[in-house]
Amino acid sequence: MQKAIEHIMHALFLICACVSILAVVLICVYLFATGVPAMSEIGFTDFLFGQKWKPSSGYYGIFPMIIGSILVTGIAVLIGVPIGILCAVFMSHYCPAGLYRFVKPAVNLLAGIPSIVYGFFGLMVIVPIMKSIFGGSGKSLLTAGILLGIMILPTVIKTTEASLNAVPKSYYEGALALGATHERSVFFASLPAAKSGILAAIILGVGRAIGETMAVILVAGNQTILPENITSGVRTMTSNIVIEMGYATGLHRDALIATAVVLFVFILIINLCFSVLKRRKD
Amino acid sequence: MKITRTLSLGTAALLAIAALAGCSNDNGSSGSSSPSSSSSSDSSTPAANNSSAADSSSSADENSSTPATKLDTEITVVSREDESGTRGAFVELMGIEQKNEAGEKEDMTRGDAEIINSTNGVMMSVAGNVDAIGYISLGSLNDTVKAVDVNGVEVSVDNIKSGEYMVARPFMICYQQAKLDANAAATDFVKYIESVEGQAIISDNGYIAIDTTDNYTASGVSGAISLNGSTSVGPVMEKLAEAYKALNPDVSIDVQQTGSGAGITAATEGTCDIGMSSRELKQEEIDAGLTPLKIADDGIAVIVNLENPIEDISSDEIMKIYTGEINNWSELA
Amino acid sequence: MTDAAEKNTMSGNTTVPENYINRVTIGARLRQYARSPLSLLLMILVMLAAIFAVGMLVFIIIYILVNGVPHLSAEQFSWKYTTENVSMLPAIINTLLMTAMTLILAVPIGIFAAVYLVEYAKRGNKLVKVIRVTTETLSGIPSIVFGLFGFLMFNISLKWQFSILAGVITLAMMILPLIIRTTEEALLAVPDSYREGSFGLGAGKMRTVFRVILPTAVPGIMSGVILSIGRIVGESAALIFTSGSGHNLPGALIGSGSSAATLTVHMYILSNEGLHTDQAFASAVVLLALTFIINLISDLIERHISKKKG
Repeated sequence: MQKAIEHIMHALFLICACVSILAVVLICVYLFATGVPAMSEIGFTDFLFGQKWKPSSGYYGIFPMIIGSILVTGIAVLIGVPIGILCAVFMSHYCPAGLYRFVKPAVNLLAGIPSIVYGFFGLMVIVPIMKSIFGGSGKSLLTAGILLGIMILPTVIKTTEASLNAVPKSYYEGALALGATHERSVFFASLPAAKSGILAAIILGVGRAIGETMAVILVAGNQTILPENITSGVRTMTSNIVIEMGYATGLHRDALIATAVVLFVFILIINLCFSVLKRRKD
Repeated sequence: MKITRTLSLGTAALLAIAALAGCSNDNGSSGSSSPSSSSSSDSSTPAANNSSAADSSSSADENSSTPATKLDTEITVVSREDESGTRGAFVELMGIEQKNEAGEKEDMTRGDAEIINSTNGVMMSVAGNVDAIGYISLGSLNDTVKAVDVNGVEVSVDNIKSGEYMVARPFMICYQQAKLDANAAATDFVKYIESVEGQAIISDNGYIAIDTTDNYTASGVSGAISLNGSTSVGPVMEKLAEAYKALNPDVSIDVQQTGSGAGITAATEGTCDIGMSSRELKQEEIDAGLTPLKIADDGIAVIVNLENPIEDISSDEIMKIYTGEINNWSELA
Repeated sequence: MTDAAEKNTMSGNTTVPENYINRVTIGARLRQYARSPLSLLLMILVMLAAIFAVGMLVFIIIYILVNGVPHLSAEQFSWKYTTENVSMLPAIINTLLMTAMTLILAVPIGIFAAVYLVEYAKRGNKLVKVIRVTTETLSGIPSIVFGLFGFLMFNISLKWQFSILAGVITLAMMILPLIIRTTEEALLAVPDSYREGSFGLGAGKMRTVFRVILPTAVPGIMSGVILSIGRIVGESAALIFTSGSGHNLPGALIGSGSSAATLTVHMYILSNEGLHTDQAFASAVVLLALTFIINLISDLIERHISKKKG
């Protein structure tokens, strides 16, 4: 009797563990079953490398969106990662315990603010500033990148801080004892030792930035053309889905799901990089 | 220890934050109606929260010494997304939909137009950008933006009814006749929308009612109705549903605002009783088994920033702006 | 905390006055910076970054409060939503409802999965590798992709219409990896001596898991649950296409009238048509307050754990 229950529970645990496999399989099946036929109907190269997106006239090229997503994410990482790392350094090596009690919850709160609120904030505060600096409409690749850079800050800060704290104190103390200043000890002894954690932070940040939707819609301009420079408007893959899903029918809807498939593949690639990194660390 | 140093730095940081916060306070209160460059000028007045039209225009006058009658800046074109009901009606009426080389009708809206997927987004973008032009549903128009006259005709319910203001489109509902007949509550609700009482709600909310003489009397039906579709029709449909529920308390009505296309699809696939659309149904959609029914007309207001001196614009100019032939406000007549 | 403790032990061992080693006067520090401009630059950069991050948060919070607080009114907390009162109370209840249902669905599965991975699976098991890879994949998928999937599977294939259950299952899939990961960490932190002790007293594996290991890991699991709640409350993209925009309480789990908008979705919809922008900001204030409370609880739990450890 006891043994039977043990076996049943073992099986139950196993089944629960397999739920995440089931979830990924389901998501793949549903997305690919709709997306891939749509892609082949449009033509894989026309879909992936077509530069014209005009569903009402039968053009389904998401190349500008792919480039848009990559560029926006790139700018977000360029802005968010250095600031995030510096913040993490502040929190682990500069911040007095009294201040830390406020800074830590502040970072957590920054992570908890819904993206729509970030979007409003970007539209009403960052966009006018960008307009007064660069002219044009103020909605651009750069604006979206800056907003996303702010949005990935908490992710980068938390991951980097955790890995900095995991670096043995002796690294820092050793450098200090050799006569290095506090800054040099932190940046040239502790920080390099936390390299893998920082890489993880970057990858997580990239994942967050590329998947962000609601905030980007409001500040990116959403033009379906290849951006000419940093102040041109762009549309990312995620905003393309949200913007048009409500109205889309037929092949148009399937093309949007195919966009999600491309996004999914991007995420898979990012995850792959992540696990490769991890394995190297181990 | 380093505590004294860090503490002093910490206080400095806090001071800086406080200063920043002070700025943000001003920005936040006036940012929604004026660009930030002008917000510093009225930072001393603790201005009431947004939509203070007079406030922002006065600060603009301070900035620009000459009271120009025309802006001399590049136009920022703001548009709704492809296949939005509002955009579909707008491009058709304005002649932006033109024949391409192949002879097929194509939406020629310039590729670098800003695309925003909500009425509010268009309004916020135009309200925050002096150079912007956009278009929204008349029912959503408020005083954060300025509606310009088209061909010398002011956008108003009367002018749309008389046909003088040309930028208008229908609000439609659609359903599978058999599915509707099977649902007594839904049939009754459609009857209500088409009645004098229902149409009164439509005109109360700034939309244009259709002519009808049928009176509605509550029939005491019960049941559930699900509606799905256009975000433009949705708000007035919620009003209709509330008024109807007041008359027929046993009926529950579920209004989903997803978009015209999604509503029509849902009605075709039978996942809702009634679909809502802010554009005419296409022939292929009617062929798929849907019965369309017009419930109201809605004007499309062409909007610009409050600080833009322009009052009147011709439909030809709108077409040229949206197709990219005109790039600067000074090129307008 | 650990920093100070470490220093104490160090000074204790070497009879040097406390903190003597690290004591640097301001003058000495300035001289150091004069000798090494790079250090000065780095210090300034660090400070600027910290000010930027915290300043941004303060900026955003004040921005929300200024725009939202003046529009908070009693009628927004009526029991029933109408287009007149634009009440957010049903949306708040929907949020609680959806959070509770999602947790009921995802937490047991997540915990059991973690138990399997930590307690039962053998090292180098192929299946475990697959589970880990899929869990990681799942945690990386953007919420809009979850939303599209939920829409395709529940709303279209299963014809559930916009329903609370569709939203709940989609969310459950979304938070599952988070719960698995935090529970796993909590379980790994349970000392092996507990297991050995329990086995030694003759308890079976299942008994050990439920009576000894899980209770010890509760605070860690709780922190994962709180993180998940935060994610559910803030989610919008995954819910718009699954549980829809029903402003009132759902009447059923699936089918007609079962749509339920959480506070975030409610805010998104209000802000869309431009008719109720002020009320949208008012809901943002409530949302912010909710997020703050959730963070507070999570902090308390975290402190509780570290106190236990320390």
